[in-house]
Amino acid sequence: MKDPIRDFIQQAIAPEIFHSGHTPKLSGRTGGVLEKTVLRVVDFLKATVENDALASRTGFLQRTDPRIKCLSVALLLGCALLTKSIVELALLYAACVTLAVFSSISLLFFLERTLLFIPFFSLFIVIPAIFNVITPGESVLSFKAFGAGLTITRQGIDSALIFFMRVLASVSLTILVMLTTRHHVLLRTLRIFKVPRLFIMTMSMCYRYIFLLLDVLHNTFIAIKSRVGYVTSAKTGRRLVAVNMAGMWLRSYQLYGQVYDAMVSRGYTGEPIVLDNFKPHAGDYLLLAASFFTLIGTLWLNRFFR
Amino acid sequence: MAEPLFSLNDVSFSYQGSIAGLNGLDLAVARGERTAVIGANGTGKSTLLTLLDALIFPQKGRFTFAGKEITPRVINDAAFQREFRKKVGFVFQNPDIQLFCPTVKEDILFGPLQLGIPVPEINRRLESAVERLRLAPLLERSPHQLSIGEKKKAAIASVLVIEPEVLLLDEPTAGLDPQTVRDIIAVLQEAHVAGRTVIMATHDLHIVEEIADVIHVFGNNRTIIRSGTPEEILADTEFLQKNNLVHIHVHRHLHAHHTHVH
Repeated sequence: MKDPIRDFIQQAIAPEIFHSGHTPKLSGRTGGVLEKTVLRVVDFLKATVENDALASRTGFLQRTDPRIKCLSVALLLGCALLTKSIVELALLYAACVTLAVFSSISLLFFLERTLLFIPFFSLFIVIPAIFNVITPGESVLSFKAFGAGLTITRQGIDSALIFFMRVLASVSLTILVMLTTRHHVLLRTLRIFKVPRLFIMTMSMCYRYIFLLLDVLHNTFIAIKSRVGYVTSAKTGRRLVAVNMAGMWLRSYQLYGQVYDAMVSRGYTGEPIVLDNFKPHAGDYLLLAASFFTLIGTLWLNRFFR
Repeated sequence: MAEPLFSLNDVSFSYQGSIAGLNGLDLAVARGERTAVIGANGTGKSTLLTLLDALIFPQKGRFTFAGKEITPRVINDAAFQREFRKKVGFVFQNPDIQLFCPTVKEDILFGPLQLGIPVPEINRRLESAVERLRLAPLLERSPHQLSIGEKKKAAIASVLVIEPEVLLLDEPTAGLDPQTVRDIIAVLQEAHVAGRTVIMATHDLHIVEEIADVIHVFGNNRTIIRSGTPEEILADTEFLQKNNLVHIHVHRHLHAHHTHVH
């Protein structure tokens, strides 16, 4: 049968690749794009498999009902946002590290994931806030820079530290949920926020088919590499990327029709029915209660002591 | 003769109005019969199965299931559609199309849940299908983490769990290792013993004798050019060769050339 995708790609891609056997002009940059695309796809697939493996371990948070886990984390995120105490934020982070250890997550891996990148960059963002220009207050250190006098204030350091710790605690809580819950389960817990089933199912299917399309993309680039080598001319490279984007769109469009047929074939009529077989345990409610009372405690401390 | 379960009279179908899919096809399939549809690539086998599953409809001719003509209007009736989907299960050629849920277990449960089968009964069927196809270790896995053979078995389980009266299978054994092919043949034989009607499109002629009572051969004119028992059809090497279904394979045994049909 006529294959519109194959025909489209063959017509659109440079003739030197599909027809003549002529070796395109060499250029390192474009070859790099193909190479990097393949490597990024492989990296993404590997990271997903690793995350899935972590979420499938038998740790404390993995055993917890995902709905209760999400609610508890939402309450604790509330604490992180509302508290004005560095000590409380530090305790919250310590609690995250403890939970990570009890959830079979390597301490080093967790510290690496939580301390690097986001909190680290937030520290850079918050640096101006330690100076008297942004936060006036009690002087800790004064010096001259670019001909102007600058003063670091105690209030500035405090607010910068609170900001940093708040980001650290929030990122840690979120990462804990992400690492201990499989993606599709996480999506299903959106039901507790009354998100429509159809939306959740569509998102789950998008996540499922990303892998299939990534696999196609990976194989396509490997096939291109096997025929044209590591490097091609910049012009051909750009055309290859553009045509592959178009090809992927066509493939996903074709796939959508076939998947819909497969759903209809098994009785789908527009409103998906799914089995929510979450089973909370007593320990899960303890986690929820602890999170709830932590939030209440934070509000109480804010009201009476600060 | 009893009324056929499926009946197609002078059925034609084309994709986008121009690419021929089926051309004046006549076919009757009896209840409980095992039918193999063979033919070269692009001769209309998959189109036929898609039509039998009421996912596409004849643009010309008449298609009936259990005596009732199947048209878009008939299948749009929710009650009829539900009964039809309970009775007819379709295993697609590409398992990636069929496995659209995040885990194998959810994929297997999808059909029975949509069809309103009670949960305890679904669990019983799940256990049975999983045991039959040895899928227990794969249940919580995502379909993209499976091999092609595992995907095929999961796709078959997702249809078997509906316990349909009719099983439509599009090349269920294509590209699979011998053990997985044996597993699938065993499942099809059990389905036959249980009284199910099995209609399968395939290129694997070596399994046809085991799983079919009747063979329909599709030609390049996208209709059935010959029907018969597996013994009759498979014995006619010249006919099979002419229709791209076998080739004469020549290879060397020490110093002698050996020729046989592949």
